[in-house]
Amino acid sequence: MGMIKDIVEGGWSLIAGMWVTIRRIYRPVVTVQYPRECLDMSPAYRGHIEFEQFPETGSHNCVACGTCMRFCPTNVIKVQGEKTHTHSEKRASLYFIDFSHCSLCGLCVVNCPTQTLKFSGEYELAHYSRWDGVIDLIQRLEESA
Amino acid sequence: MANEFLEPITEQTFYLNMGPQHPSTHGVLRLFLKLDGEYIVEADPVIGYGHRGHEKMAESHLYEQFLPNSSRMDYLAGLIFNHGYVAAIEKMAGIEVPPRAEYIRVICAELNRISSHLLWFGTYVMDLGGFTPFLYSFDDRENILDILDRVSGSRLTYSYCRFGGVARDVDDEFITATHQFVERLRSRWDDYHNLVTKNVIFIHRAKDVGVINRELALRFGCTGPILRAAGVPYDVRKAEPYSVYSELDFEIPTGTKGDALDRYLVRVQEMEQSLHIIEQALERLPDGAIKAAVPHKVRPPRGDYYFAVESARGAVGFYIVSDGTSYPYRLKARVPSYGNLQVLTEVLPGTLVADTISILGSIDIVVPEVDR
Repeated sequence: MGMIKDIVEGGWSLIAGMWVTIRRIYRPVVTVQYPRECLDMSPAYRGHIEFEQFPETGSHNCVACGTCMRFCPTNVIKVQGEKTHTHSEKRASLYFIDFSHCSLCGLCVVNCPTQTLKFSGEYELAHYSRWDGVIDLIQRLEESA
Repeated sequence: MANEFLEPITEQTFYLNMGPQHPSTHGVLRLFLKLDGEYIVEADPVIGYGHRGHEKMAESHLYEQFLPNSSRMDYLAGLIFNHGYVAAIEKMAGIEVPPRAEYIRVICAELNRISSHLLWFGTYVMDLGGFTPFLYSFDDRENILDILDRVSGSRLTYSYCRFGGVARDVDDEFITATHQFVERLRSRWDDYHNLVTKNVIFIHRAKDVGVINRELALRFGCTGPILRAAGVPYDVRKAEPYSVYSELDFEIPTGTKGDALDRYLVRVQEMEQSLHIIEQALERLPDGAIKAAVPHKVRPPRGDYYFAVESARGAVGFYIVSDGTSYPYRLKARVPSYGNLQVLTEVLPGTLVADTISILGSIDIVVPEVDR
């Protein structure tokens, strides 16, 4: 008698579980067919860093102080600056990041004294060579402008 | 139960390597099993395949620079590890955190706890042979990841907590999305119970399997759902309340026997309690600053400090020795999975190989957290 009860109860539990699945068939489809359709990235999304373009100057405000370089846990950033003439402020002439080492922690963005760094919305960042991960931010800014 | 069939037909035993590449070990864990037929005589978990030297890495990094490492120890509950590390430094340096930041941290940490439990739920049932619940739980987990992505900008390894606060403020959309998620998950419990909890096959695979009783759990230093399933109501959030948990009302679900089914039920009830915490925290979320004024480089005073938080798998402790500079002299992370994993040496002998999957799954280890 106990065995029959077990079989009935166990069988019913399987039917109840199957019913959950069957009901699901009539729910709307939520899958997005990437790459044919893309979702919008969230405003906080962290891609690799890039320069902010300030409307006053039409360019970045990097003074090549090297704070980002020193705070980076994995030495992703290389920055060099030069003065155009003797009394001018220093400006970045070289700014390279090696994205393949970047952990997107955001310490560079937080610590930048001139707030000229921001996260980009790039997410398709797979590449074939390790050199494809090296990004020239100054060139990137010029191309986007 | 399994022992009564174990007759010494032959003295011949053999060794079997389960892992390091095995789909149900969820990482690179090697279980060295001595078998007598289908029964396990000895079990030895071999760890260290994923050792990255996080603790050593901390010694050569600024306190700030170690922040991204903390969420990479346990990638499923990264925000809770983040919270633990940041709170440890705040205790060392005496930084006051604004109340809004504390509430945001609690909301996000509880969301992260639910996402970790949902992932465990899906993969555990998949290990036992049920594929459908996996898709359901990942559907719900996806919602949490979207919510956390909105505030932290990342889906798995959030470096969201900062010394003295959080990196980004939450907006109204976050609050409504979280409320919607709480309602949505509450409406899904019936489906989960019909699919899994009441399922006869699941009950047979989980009931009386891998009993970790009170003594065993205490002897091996198990924490988290394993200890609570054995009937010990220990939760760091209640035992040593940190952040704003002392102001929030929640219960600690406990089991009685400590078998795999108890551990399953404890985790499912914990998710409900986390929803309860999130609702209260959202209601009380104060206005104000999200970050205290903190110097660029934190230099905690000389001394040693310990701070513990409750992650999805148990108590996480950060023991940090400071020599007064901006680099830690020594950082030791006490992780829950390490103690929880070692208990396998006592639990596995005498069980069937098929039950190993069930026991290992029900313990819910994250191997990178064990190896660090």
